[in-house]
Amino acid sequence: MTLSNLVIRNLKKNIKYYYLYIFALVFSVSLYFSFVTLQYDPSMDAAGNTVKGAAAIKAASLLLVAIVSIFLLYANTIFIKRRGKEIGLFQLIGMTKSRIFRLLTLENFILYFLSIIIGIFIGFSFSKVTVMILFKVTGVAAITKLHFSTEALVQTIIVFCIIYIFIMLMNYIFIKRQTILSLFRITSSTQARVKKMSVWEIIIGIVGIVFIISGYFISSKLFSGSFQTMNMLFMAMISILSLVIIGTYLFYKGSVSFLFNLIRKKKNGYININQVLSLSSIMFRMKSNSILLTIITTVSALAIGLLCLSYISYYSAEKTAKETVPADFTFAHSEDAEAFSKLLNKQEIAYKEERIPVIQADFNVKNILNDIPGESTLDSTKMQLPVISEEYVKGVSLSKEEVAFTRYSSALEKFINLKSKGTISILVNGSSLSLNYVGQKDLFLIPYTFTSGGLPTVIVDSSVFHLLEKNMDESIQTPSTLYIGMTINKNNELVAADKLYQQLAFEGYDTISRYDRIQSQKEMMGLTMFIVGFLGLTFLITSGCILYFKQMDEGEEEKYTYTILRKLGYTQNDLLNGIKIKQLFNFGIPLLVGLLHSYFAVQSGWFFFGTELWAPMFIVMGLYAVLYSIFGILSVAFYKKIIADAL
Amino acid sequence: MDILVASKVHKSYGNKANRQEVLKGVDLNVQKAEFVSIMGASGSGKTTLLNVLSSIDQATGGTIHIVEKEITRLKEKQLAEFRKNHLGFIFQDYNLLDTLTVKENILLPLSITKTPQKEAHQRFDTLAKDLGIYEIKNKYPNEISGGQKQRTSAARAFIHEPDIIFADEPTGALDSKSASDLLNKLSHLNQTRNATILMVTHDAVAASYCSRVVFIKDGQIYTQLYKGDQDRQRFFQDIIKTQGILGGVQNDFK
Repeated sequence: MTLSNLVIRNLKKNIKYYYLYIFALVFSVSLYFSFVTLQYDPSMDAAGNTVKGAAAIKAASLLLVAIVSIFLLYANTIFIKRRGKEIGLFQLIGMTKSRIFRLLTLENFILYFLSIIIGIFIGFSFSKVTVMILFKVTGVAAITKLHFSTEALVQTIIVFCIIYIFIMLMNYIFIKRQTILSLFRITSSTQARVKKMSVWEIIIGIVGIVFIISGYFISSKLFSGSFQTMNMLFMAMISILSLVIIGTYLFYKGSVSFLFNLIRKKKNGYININQVLSLSSIMFRMKSNSILLTIITTVSALAIGLLCLSYISYYSAEKTAKETVPADFTFAHSEDAEAFSKLLNKQEIAYKEERIPVIQADFNVKNILNDIPGESTLDSTKMQLPVISEEYVKGVSLSKEEVAFTRYSSALEKFINLKSKGTISILVNGSSLSLNYVGQKDLFLIPYTFTSGGLPTVIVDSSVFHLLEKNMDESIQTPSTLYIGMTINKNNELVAADKLYQQLAFEGYDTISRYDRIQSQKEMMGLTMFIVGFLGLTFLITSGCILYFKQMDEGEEEKYTYTILRKLGYTQNDLLNGIKIKQLFNFGIPLLVGLLHSYFAVQSGWFFFGTELWAPMFIVMGLYAVLYSIFGILSVAFYKKIIADAL
Repeated sequence: MDILVASKVHKSYGNKANRQEVLKGVDLNVQKAEFVSIMGASGSGKTTLLNVLSSIDQATGGTIHIVEKEITRLKEKQLAEFRKNHLGFIFQDYNLLDTLTVKENILLPLSITKTPQKEAHQRFDTLAKDLGIYEIKNKYPNEISGGQKQRTSAARAFIHEPDIIFADEPTGALDSKSASDLLNKLSHLNQTRNATILMVTHDAVAASYCSRVVFIKDGQIYTQLYKGDQDRQRFFQDIIKTQGILGGVQNDFK
């Protein structure tokens, strides 16, 4: 039998082990290829102009290479171990090591480069789709026309050739190091020894859970005012990270077996088939995979967290913009406003205009703050707030002594809690004027340029306003003390109005088009989402594949268990039900821990990113869980075959 | 009462072109509370016979009745059902689950039949004390010796009080001390519990513990020896003699 003959036979025989590997390889090649194509494509300039698209995508493709190469190398170690026996046999019949290496190289070459060609082909046909997705989420209206880019092709081939060389190098070292004997032993040496739980393991188990819970606890307190200075905040974040990561490791190392052992102890030796297959197996297996599982959990938590945050930001772009900028167009100077309104009239676009004089004044709000932060950076006795007169606010009437607040940004709401009533004082010309605070109105009236980014606006009686106007402190005023807001009557004319606005090319940060602001926010977050989403997807697929490969190994190692159980009289169905529960744990525990981690990460600081938490988080997490469970289902199908063969 | 009745059992492997007949019409009856051993040279088909009789392998011809039920006609699901209620197994390589403790391993057959907990623990206690493995009940299989493993395996075969227990070379992997220990325990259980045991062995010492020895040669029953009232030593001599006549390879010196 010639070498090539042997290679083809091997490929045929091993194809059922390799199909997921091929799938993951094809997927990552096509993704990489389409990313690189995007990078070189002229049509990207449309997105690239506004949001440095190419640079971001370049960075993303680098990360992609990192993920893919780690996956390929790891998968290769699993595969070569599986074939240890075969390699030993070849050596036994007198094949030299270099010949075996050639055999493996050839085999891998066919598999690998076939997948790369398919991957590039798919990548090219789908790069149009990816570009369309990118343009869709970033809201860029450009025509997608793609050209086959030779640069992209060359780059892809070079990158994957380098990975291939690394894989071969690994195989070479593996074969070089092995003796015939050790090759035969390989599968048995990877099995963890089954022993009784030691006290040490129980301690590890408890410590793991305590670490994770305390990490979660600190994260929920992170921005609630317990950590005031930057230093403390930083320390808190570091300790959350280390507590959770070490906790996760210990959790897999000890807690899982500790908890399962507790359940088993309760049964007092009388355990049913489902527990035989799930509890007792996972108890011992999860320990030996703890580093791998920790990495998978942590990185997927990171991916889910980032994806959630960028989606939150994307999802609530409009809502956030409406809170910070109340009108469609905001002007600080009447000349600008008039130039714009002239254009609008010409195009017969109907609009409403609103002019509100705004002045800044210092307030003592100490008495209406609920919990006064100890060493806050804010001085509650001298706080600069914007003031407007009650006559510009519909539905609000105040007496001379009364004062009301508008709403303020949701991020700030996490830090500052106002009482519903109290007294505050305005500092006018050195003396202070006491007023009655009557509560908060559910309104956003003036844009962020006046409110120092998101502070509440103070509404006062017109007489008080005039008094302030006369005695205002020039040094703290905004460049313009007049807010001009224009709102377009019909929503469908907004885009046209924005075009006119763009024609005028206003300068200065206090002239704002809300539509433009939402669009640029969406573009930025859309690009982030696109990149994080695809990277996350790649990581999900590769890590899912690795868990699946591990399960394949485990299934074959445990085959003798199924033989025994079937001899004892369990049906295939009994066993399969047990396996389903086992896989629920095997895939469910890392998924659940990853989701919990990302939930606590997201909830600790989501309010900086947007206004809506639940909907975007559930969408992202749900999607992740569904994709992940596909691998679990595939592994159950694999076990089904093993069980059927077992007797 | 006949527990097991096998008639004209055939078993062949391979396809039509290349057929290898391992069992060529075996007839065998086993009575209640009998301790029968099947002996024969390697390749004589004794393990195949045991597998076929115990429903792990399918016969290609003939019928097998266990407690008046024809197992050759049962479907895979019914077979599993039948095994869990009526059969017990002891194997040469113990076949214990590594991830379960001794007690969990032994109670496994009871958990399939959903025996009440209290009764299960009671049965375990008496049986484990009988077999001398009560003290190691919370240990894992790789923490105990081969003899202890095999006694655990035996306990698992006895715990659900099956109609017949199949033992495939149970002493094959044990040293002589543990082997005689196990065989003493088996014949003790055979007598006190009226358990029916069918054991395959190539070891004449092991066979001498039985009440009957069936010799197999080239897929057919060659002869049978009954222990009757003689002591074990004498029975052993008989077995050795028969084994000698049986020989391994037919010689054509003449």
